Amino acid sequence: MTTVSFVPVALTRRQAALVEAAAARIFPTTDTPGATEAGVVNYIDRALAEAYPGLLSLYRSGCRALAGESKRRYGVDFLKARPDQQDDLLTAFEAGGVDGFPKAKEFFGTLRDHTMEGVLGEPAYGGNRDLVGWKLVGFPGHQYGYEDAYINKVVDLEPKALDRPYPTKEAWNA
Amino acid sequence: MPNNPKAVDVVIVGIGAVGGIMAKQLASAGLEVVGLERGPMAEFEDYASKDSIRSITRRNFDERVRHEPISVRQREGAPSAKRFTSTPVNAVGGGLAIWTGSATRFMPDDFRVDSNEVQAGVADKARADLTGYEIRDWPISYDDLEPYYERFEWEMGVSGDADANPFAGPRKKGYPLPPLRQGARNELFGDACARLGYHAHPTPNGILSEAYQPPAPYDTRIQERPACVYCGQCNNYGCHVQAKLSSAWTSVPVAFETGNFDLRTNSKVFRIETGPDGRATGVSYFDPDGNVVEQRAKVVIVASYIYEASRLLLLSGKGKRGLANSSGQVGRRITAHGDVRYTGIFDDYIVNGFIGPNSGMRMDDFNGNNFDHTGVGFIRGGTIGTSGGGTPLERYDAIPPGWPRWGEAYKEYLAKYYTRQADVTSHPEALPHRENFIDLDPRFKDEWGIPLPRTTFAFHQNEHKMWAFLGEIEQQILREAGASEVWGFPTNRASRWAGGTVMGDDAGDSVVNGYCQTHDVDNLFVVGASVFPTMTGYAATPTVCALAYRTSEYIVGASGLF
Repeated sequence: MTTVSFVPVALTRRQAALVEAAAARIFPTTDTPGATEAGVVNYIDRALAEAYPGLLSLYRSGCRALAGESKRRYGVDFLKARPDQQDDLLTAFEAGGVDGFPKAKEFFGTLRDHTMEGVLGEPAYGGNRDLVGWKLVGFPGHQYGYEDAYINKVVDLEPKALDRPYPTKEAWNA
Repeated sequence: MPNNPKAVDVVIVGIGAVGGIMAKQLASAGLEVVGLERGPMAEFEDYASKDSIRSITRRNFDERVRHEPISVRQREGAPSAKRFTSTPVNAVGGGLAIWTGSATRFMPDDFRVDSNEVQAGVADKARADLTGYEIRDWPISYDDLEPYYERFEWEMGVSGDADANPFAGPRKKGYPLPPLRQGARNELFGDACARLGYHAHPTPNGILSEAYQPPAPYDTRIQERPACVYCGQCNNYGCHVQAKLSSAWTSVPVAFETGNFDLRTNSKVFRIETGPDGRATGVSYFDPDGNVVEQRAKVVIVASYIYEASRLLLLSGKGKRGLANSSGQVGRRITAHGDVRYTGIFDDYIVNGFIGPNSGMRMDDFNGNNFDHTGVGFIRGGTIGTSGGGTPLERYDAIPPGWPRWGEAYKEYLAKYYTRQADVTSHPEALPHRENFIDLDPRFKDEWGIPLPRTTFAFHQNEHKMWAFLGEIEQQILREAGASEVWGFPTNRASRWAGGTVMGDDAGDSVVNGYCQTHDVDNLFVVGASVFPTMTGYAATPTVCALAYRTSEYIVGASGLF
């Protein structure tokens, strides 16, 4: 089973599916969008191809360990495990308590950081699709500035993101 | 040598805050100046970028900037590790490209720690254990620097309220611009401090609160720049409206205008050359293609960050000791700021910490020698203030202890509290300690095969006691401001380095004199935070810029240099 709807460039489709499933537990979809809707796996795959190639082997071994540990504990693949089982597994990784995979804690920490980068980073890097992360937390993104100081009130500006900032106010707001 | 460009009057190594000012001042005096900058000329698009993945997560505000490694270890005998650091920024403007803007003058007492605190009994009353520390006065005073602080503030444009901080030193003129708008920080930090009896004020800031061009008698050739728009992305970002000062759009364009300034970017200096008489004859550098070039000059100015200042002297000269090091003090007496940071979340108050400026309100009631140290167990202190850095990628780990770090509850937390949190921080002073120094790494080399500067550095007892004390005050302020939960801790993270080429009157135990001129080599100057005998609770920028103006004036007026 794979839910990944794009062709990954650094990860295999299988690894991408595992990463997407784990990210969906780290920042779950509730009544608001989560990691899946933000396109976190897309962000991570591109980051591993471009900025963090040195972490690819950690992802490879981490995915293997995630799948192996799920099979061992629950007799099913991680992708088919129940959400509470997936959470228990990720909790074990976070604590570093996975036999035969000493990098469990490091893998979880990296995956969590990258998940949040994919939720809260610039959409130009493949995540934060439709600015779901910024809308969720209330960050209006790349504003030219703030004419109001917004003292103790919600910033009611439409969030925006620029692929590439522009030097003039007119171009910025265009 | 493949080529041997003609001798010039002055060569400046590093065109950052100091190098830019000195290039402007010296070229304006008719001297022929070559500037060698190891990084590129930052383009406007790089400054304009508000890309948090690039600037915060990947720490690379300009993709063309080559991050050079240093090596670090905590104590002598321990193995060193190679580390890439985003400060200093290897580009024209240096750290000013991405600084926060915090631009406070040092206080008069900051120049007299030995006299006013150690000798005068403050340390005894405090019951401070100063074992291992190397404390001495500066050979120059606040009064010596006062006119140059003024020139820095009026030429580069500093926004502030000269009457707001009762601990500030005397000044002949106020700031050229009123303080930046503080927004919620006034209500939270300012009001809480007022209720507690502390003296909160807007941080004097190298960011323009109004459009500004220096008036006469200051340098009116400096271009007009617009006011801050409060985008909130100062620290680690370039400024897309150029309201934040950088050499790249203040001093450097004026230096070019003189016709006497030749800037060579992506040029890495690796040695100061000397003649048979021991005087400096110029520098050797790798040009952008990797060729070795020697630039001869009558005066050599090292205006780089502290790692490079010590390294360059240690790499030069004839003997093992390096150049200008008869005192053995090159690389010694390095200091840095610590980082004591507490965070509060507010159930009933929306902070919107992503709105600028990053360097907001602060108070100096527990900085330097401003308070009664009786029994506290340490001397000195730190400025305490609100801190910036409000984009989501800087805040997703700001979670109270015991709260989930992922999953549904974490998501709910972030959705509710991202806009309802504030930091109160201090970057307290560390005193120079004999176990802290820079030397050449015996193992690690840079891409040109030159040994890395190795820092051996740890914080010691005076700092640890100070951090605990300041942390209590920070928590008190956040609770007074109404935070429902407060957490944090001092970290061992060191930033804002100083020392390594210490300034002093005695050639036997210092590297440069009060004019940043090396005792051993009269036509060699080292200008920057590396000359500080002690650090203070403030960032170094205004003081290094004041030194740059003062040293430039000295060089122009000195006899026998040209």
